[in-house]
Formats: sequence, C-alpha cells, structure tokens
Amino acid sequence: MKVSLLSRLLANYPYVAAFILFAIGIYGVIASSNLLRKLLGISIMESAIFLMFIASGNITGRGVPIVDAAKESVGYVNPLPQALILTGIVVGVSTTAFALALLVKLHKYYGTLDARIIYDKREADKH
Amino acid sequence: MIQENLPVLLVVTLLFTAYLLPIFTKRRPRIIELLVVTVECLILGGTLYLAGLIARQGRAPIIYPAGGWPAPWGIELSVGSLSILFLLMIAGVGLPVAIFATDGITWQLRSRQRVAWFFTLYLLLAAALAGLAVTNDLFNVYVFVEVATISCCALVAAKDDPLAIKAAFRYLLLATVGSGFIFAGIGLIYLVTGNLDMTFAFTELSQRAYTYPHVVRLAISFFVIGFGTKAALFPLHLWLPDAHSAALTPASAILSGLAVKGYIIALAKILYIIVGPALLQALSIDRILLLMGMVAIVAGSLLALAQDELKRRLAYSTVAQVGYIFLGLGLMNTTGLAGALFYAASHAIIKACLFLAAGAIISRTGKERVSQMAGVGREMPITMGIFTICSFALMGLPLLSGFIGKWNLLRGSIQAGSFLASLVIILGSLLCAGYLLPVIRTAYFVPAGTTTTKETSFLQISSMLILTVFVIVLGIAPGPLWNLAWQAARDLLGG
Amino acid sequence: MKDYILKRVVILLLPLMQVFGLYVIFHGHLSPGGGFAGGMIVGLGLVCYAAVYGMEKGTDKVPDRAATLIESFGTLWYGAVGLVGVFKGTLFLSNKATGVPMGQPAALLSGGWILVITLGVGIKVASTIVTLFYALTEEEES
Repeated sequence: MKVSLLSRLLANYPYVAAFILFAIGIYGVIASSNLLRKLLGISIMESAIFLMFIASGNITGRGVPIVDAAKESVGYVNPLPQALILTGIVVGVSTTAFALALLVKLHKYYGTLDARIIYDKREADKH
Repeated sequence: MIQENLPVLLVVTLLFTAYLLPIFTKRRPRIIELLVVTVECLILGGTLYLAGLIARQGRAPIIYPAGGWPAPWGIELSVGSLSILFLLMIAGVGLPVAIFATDGITWQLRSRQRVAWFFTLYLLLAAALAGLAVTNDLFNVYVFVEVATISCCALVAAKDDPLAIKAAFRYLLLATVGSGFIFAGIGLIYLVTGNLDMTFAFTELSQRAYTYPHVVRLAISFFVIGFGTKAALFPLHLWLPDAHSAALTPASAILSGLAVKGYIIALAKILYIIVGPALLQALSIDRILLLMGMVAIVAGSLLALAQDELKRRLAYSTVAQVGYIFLGLGLMNTTGLAGALFYAASHAIIKACLFLAAGAIISRTGKERVSQMAGVGREMPITMGIFTICSFALMGLPLLSGFIGKWNLLRGSIQAGSFLASLVIILGSLLCAGYLLPVIRTAYFVPAGTTTTKETSFLQISSMLILTVFVIVLGIAPGPLWNLAWQAARDLLGG
Repeated sequence: MKDYILKRVVILLLPLMQVFGLYVIFHGHLSPGGGFAGGMIVGLGLVCYAAVYGMEKGTDKVPDRAATLIESFGTLWYGAVGLVGVFKGTLFLSNKATGVPMGQPAALLSGGWILVITLGVGIKVASTIVTLFYALTEEEES
C-alpha cells in the first residue's frame, strides 16, 4: 500500500509541488508579522495555483500549442489553461502593485511595517 | 441593435464611463457627477427593459454568446430572473448613493482631482458587480471578482487617513487570500469536468462527482471559504468592521449594501448551477451553510450589541444579516431561497440608507458614538426619521420590506423541518431590535442642551428619501420583486 | 543612480528592449506573449530609463498626465473594437462576422481584429507599468 501511494505521488509531482507551495504561502501570510512578508506569502500562494492549472493542461508527448504545419501529426498541449493563467498573472500583478502602494503609505504614517506595532499604535490612536 | 446586445452593453457602458472619467480630472467635479448619475439612470432603464423582455418570453433566461462563439467554446452571458434582481439592486442602490456622494465629496477627499478617481472606482465596482450578475462562465466570475475586490479596497483607501489605509490593507490581504481559494476551486472544477461554462460543467460534474468525491468536496469548500471571506461570513468577517467604519460614507454604503451581496450571489450561482441541489444535499453542504448562517446571525448580532461607535455597530449588523442570507441558501426549498434573495435585496437598500444617514449625522453633528447621540432627533429630524424607519425595516416589522424576507425565511425553515433555524431567525430579529432601538431612544428621548437644527442638504435628504420610499413600497406591495425572487429561486433549484 | 556604466549600458539596451517588446505585441496572435507580456517589456524599458537617469528625465520622456490618458485610451480602444461588432449588427467582440479581412493563417496581418486589440492592450499595459512606477516612487508631496 505504501509503495503505491509513493509512486502515485511521484507520478503527480507538479500537483504535489503546487500543494506544498500553497501551504508555504498560507503559512507566510498567517505566521509572519511583517506586512511585506505577508504580501510575499500571497505571491507564493498564487504561483502555486498557477502551477496546478498549467500542469493540468499538459499531455505527455505533445508539443507547444503554436500552429505549425510540421507538428500537426504530433498534436498540441491544451492551450486553454495557459491563456487563463496569463489573465491570472495580470490580476496578481495588479493586486501586488496596489498592496505595495498601500504599504508605502502605511510606512509613511506609522514608520514601521510590523503588524503588531501598527496594531498597538492604531489602538492608541482610536482612544 | 442595442436591444439585442443589452446584457453586455450594461456592463460595457459602466466600464467605458469608468475609464472616461480620468480624462476629466482637471475639470470641475460637477461634470463628473453629472456623468455618473446619467450612467446610473441609463443602467436602471436598461435593466427595466430587460426585465420586461424576460417577462414577455415566459421567464426563460436570455442567452448571449459573446463574440458569436456559443458555449462551450466561448463565454456566454445568461440573463435570468436572478440577474435582473441583482441588476435592479445595483442600479437602485447605486443611483441614490451616487447622488448622496455628489454633495460634499470634494471637501471630504480634500482635492478636486481625486473626485474623478473616486467615481472611477465607484463605476468600476458597479461594472464588476453587473458582470457577476450576468455571466455564465466560471473564469469570467473570477475576473469580475478580482475587479470588484480591488475597487472595494481602493474605495476604502480613498480616505487618506492612517486608520483607513490600515483597514484597506487588511481587507486587501484577506480578500486576496480568498481570491486565491476561489481560483484554486475553479482549477479543481476544471480538472474534474474539463469545462468552464456553468451549464456544461453541471452535466459533466453530475456524472463524474462520484468518481472524484474528495476533489469535488475540496472544490466546494474552497469556494465557500473564498466567497465567505469576501462576503464576511462569520468567522471570516474580521476585515469588515474596520473597513466599513473607516471608509467614506458613500463607500461604506456601497460596500455594505452591494459588494457583499454580489459575492453571495456569485457563490449561490456556482453552488446551485454547477454543483446542483442534489449533489449539495448528498454532500451535506446545505447543512453546513445552514449552520454557518445561524452562527453568523447570533455572533454578528451579539458583537453589534457591544459596539459604541455607530458605524461599527452597523458594520457588525451587516455580518449578522449576511448570516440570514446564508441560512436561506442552505434551506434548499423555494420559499426559503426566494426569501433569502428578497431579503438580500431589501437589506441592500436598508443598509445603504442606514449608512448614509449615519454618515450625515456624523458629518453634521460630529457625534460618532451612540452614547453621545442625545438630542440628534431634534437637531436632524428628517435624517433621524429616515434612520428610524430603516431600523424598523431591518428589525422585520410588518409593512416594511424586511418583514417579507424574514417571514419567508421563517416559512422556509419550518418547511425544511429545522426548528432551530426558525428560533435563530426570531432571536436575530430580537437582537437587531436590541442594538438599533437604543440609538433611536437616545436620539429622541434623552434630553440634551442644543435645539438648533443642523439638518443636512437637499441632495443628501432626497437620496435617502428615495431609498426609504423603496423600503416602504417594497413592504406594502412586494409583488413584482417577490415574483422575481420566486422565479430566481425556481431557476436555481430546478436546474 | 549616478553610475557611469549603468547609464551607458541602459542607453544601448533601451532600443533593443523596445523593439523586442513591439515584436512580442505584434506577433501576439502567432506566438506566445501577446498584449500583456509585450506591453510589460515596453513599459519596463521606460521604467529602466527613469530609474537609471533620474525621475526628472523620466517624466520628461513620458509625463505623468500622458501616461494616465494613454491608460484610459487603451481601455476605450478595446471597448471600441468590441462595439464595432454591436454597430454592425452582430454580437459584441465579433471577429469574422463584422466583415474584417482575415488574411492567411500564420501571416502577420491575419486574425481580423485580434491584432488591433493586442495593440490596444499592449499600449495600455505599458502606460500602466509606467504609472505604477511613478506612483510608487513619488517623493513627499503634501
């Protein structure tokens, strides 16, 4: 039983890697107190999802999905996930850019990027 | 020519105008405000026309393949009763809030140039929510969810003070994690079914779900977590009180009223159209939604009781009312689901009006806390009167729109056999009275020194009055909107 | 940054970057990349220039206001191409049905409206990258 599980994991290595990256990303968001590191955790998490998506479109033995008369017989890999991931990357870039702009402003107001210190200062500000 | 393309033109008009506005940054704000109000009126007119079209063809949805490519090769838009309901909400709440925002936004943003950017974000949010209403493609849902998230966070950050920026960053962080989960869920559904169109994915999924039970369950949980984070389902609501209380008043009204509902309706579409009621019941997802809704109602109301700041109290009240809608989603019968959808629509109007009234009170009298609000009934009689009517509507008093939604949720939960849910609905209403009545009592009956009226301006009062009139009319004559909600529930459950 | 080597290298590399970016944009319907990737390359070229030579020279080449206007213009361009389908009686974003010549597959001028849309997206993304850079590096101005 154990051998078959290990061999199945090794056969599906992109998905295992995606899962590990996802876990690392979420851990980064939850466990680090520096806001920039939380943002990096989100980037890693999104990369994990992109990996899972693209790996799902791969068909062994086929070629790059660019129309070329010489490769008609071999066939093409599924191009749809690649187009979807391009959109996903754009979305990730915009979110990261916006978050960085907010971080610049936060640093200007609070002088630090540590979530705990900002929380204490914010509580003191409110009362 | 315009009539056939109306579904896509509604979204495109909002997007177009949103990107037209930055060109006018150097002009006077009046032009921008006029443009925004005109566009909202156009959207309202277009939605009513579509509603008439659908009613004439027997309530069947209008299918619109973008680019001429039908599904499963292309993206299809499907405008049914649920889409019309949500589009009416967007136009019906967006228009009065935009009118409210035109008065005083230049002063609040502290710069004439930023007015154009504020309204760009406003229209982008409306465009994204309209897109969520009409789309029938799973990846299109993800794109519009992302546009809506970024617009919401930017609307919160529009007010340039430290609390707002911190609240906006926290909202962005949690919402992006939620988006990541939604994207993962979409990936898993694509892996199992090979289709991104909702109706085609349903046919594939009903055959394959028993071959891959764990993947389907994982995908559904990812969707619930992702959309639940954005819709502020307890315990994923942690960003909401800060964000909605620190934002500008029109922004809070739109966020609490429309944005939160948009994500819930997207989740309802995905769960009911792709997964289907049969599979949801087989995997006990409906029981989980019911339970989470009940917990949200009780927790949100109790937390609202503990708040002294008026806007934070209203924000926690949103958490509780979102619980009502999730409870209705988990009931699995037409009465309950229609009640939930009707309650979503009426809550959007009521909560937007409450936030606008609270904002007017805070900006005119400077009183932020409930304990300070003595004498407001005399200082701002019309605004306080509007606040009172909307509070009564939220509590579920008859003759106002909140009653219809809660009554049908009650009937639905009794039909589904869950007496605990009925008890929680009634308990929720009592707690709602518990945290809204003290505000009214303090404003009217506690004596205070000042008797000068600082009533707010004509534009703001008229926008709040429009919303209140909607609330009263929907309470007395709910017929058309109730039929829409009923048909939407039948469409979702019948498929 | 006032480094001598950096300035000389950037001024040599910049034309290559722009041409490569334009190549990726124009071949968007034939090879990987397309509007977004090509637009990013063009935009990053301008950002490199502004980063190495200083913000004043950067804003001389691409002023703030121009970048914002081009951004709006890019989206309106995309919407306009989509609306061509509506005005000709077919559906939004139609390609062949609007009567545009499709050309030979794998030639540069093929695919109907796709090339036009890719151009619009490329310009928009380039100006967005430049705007983001200006926004993130603006000095203290109250």
